[in-house]
Amino acid sequence: MKTVSSLLDQDWQARYKRIANLNIRSSIYDVTNRCNLRCKGCFFFSSGEHEVTEEMDIRKWENFIDKEKERGVNLAILIGGEPTLCMDRIEAFYKRLPAYCATNGLIKISRDKFPDMMVGISLWGGSADEKVLRGRDTFAISSKNYAGDPYTYYLYTITPKQLGKVEPVIKRIADVGLKVHLQLLSNDEGVDGFSWREGELKDLRREMDEMLDKYPQTVISSKYYHEVITSGKMMGRRFGWKECPSVTESLDNRKPQTRRLIHFFRWASDLQTVHRCCTSATRDCSTCKDGAAHMSWIMVNKRDHMSSTKDLQNWIEVYEMFAKLYRFIPW
Amino acid sequence: MPESRDIKGIIRHVAEVIIGELKLEDVTADTFNPDMDLVDELGIDSMDLATIALVLQDEYKIVIDEDDYPKLKTIRLIADYIKEKLTAKS
Repeated sequence: MKTVSSLLDQDWQARYKRIANLNIRSSIYDVTNRCNLRCKGCFFFSSGEHEVTEEMDIRKWENFIDKEKERGVNLAILIGGEPTLCMDRIEAFYKRLPAYCATNGLIKISRDKFPDMMVGISLWGGSADEKVLRGRDTFAISSKNYAGDPYTYYLYTITPKQLGKVEPVIKRIADVGLKVHLQLLSNDEGVDGFSWREGELKDLRREMDEMLDKYPQTVISSKYYHEVITSGKMMGRRFGWKECPSVTESLDNRKPQTRRLIHFFRWASDLQTVHRCCTSATRDCSTCKDGAAHMSWIMVNKRDHMSSTKDLQNWIEVYEMFAKLYRFIPW
Repeated sequence: MPESRDIKGIIRHVAEVIIGELKLEDVTADTFNPDMDLVDELGIDSMDLATIALVLQDEYKIVIDEDDYPKLKTIRLIADYIKEKLTAKS
């Protein structure tokens, strides 16, 4: 029988034990339907998920969050719309649960009020791509707001147009003293020239690996994650609806039951509606490139990675990456 | 309900359930170390534990509270837990 100690030396066993009992129970919350940008390819608006009546009473938010805590959630992932348009709601989460806020970085989150809340700033490439897809170069503002912040990183969504041009973006981020995590654009709105082709994904994997080797203090990632997200394959299986772990529990009627995030929900801002998954219900799961979904896919399939030392080490590196991004362990 | 309700019998049955649910190879209920740490050594996660707990709940007609999962780290601890629940019921 394969066991942890039969596969790993003492150093790796220590790394394994540091994460094996974290029992992360995340859920995602649309904090608001409003945004101060309208990015081409943003699933939230392209799928109509913003078309619910936003709950405006902060006491209802507080009661809702208390119930979520009772439900066992220990990581609140705040998205939107742009969450920083509703700081009172962010505060309600932060006071009750470990929280992570995804933002475009245009509005600064006060560190006096939220000293250690993890912040992930969305970035869709260099200046040119940002202007095409988001209407402005957000980095110029977000980097000033968060330079050197130890609880902030960039969530860099790489587009096909960025092939061969990733390094200058990473360097800009390193130069302002921040870290970066990499994921891929899913092009939900079919913007011309922004859909991935097979050969491009292989080239991208190589480029992502190079960035991790060259900027290990800046890039929070793992080569196994690069392999899985660019190929859409793990242990001979293909990512898609039947495999995705990030489906809202109450809507998950898949048979046979797949390995999934326990008690995961994605709540709309009316605090009643639930969305299908961590991205949009209109997305084709077979081409989904969501980074968190792919990370989670690996994480929930631990025992499948216990067939060899290398497989289990790969699994540990991905779990560590996730735990760092949400501050369950330090950088 | 499994026939044997003494602690040895429960340990053996819990081992059988784990072997069956996780499709473990190269181990039997007789050779399974009941003190092996199921998370740190066998690599099971909370979804595995939930699956195992569902089977055991059904077979022993008891309730295994999800909040108790972190305590159920070995086969022996699971068996002790079941024994305690059965004793409280009778």
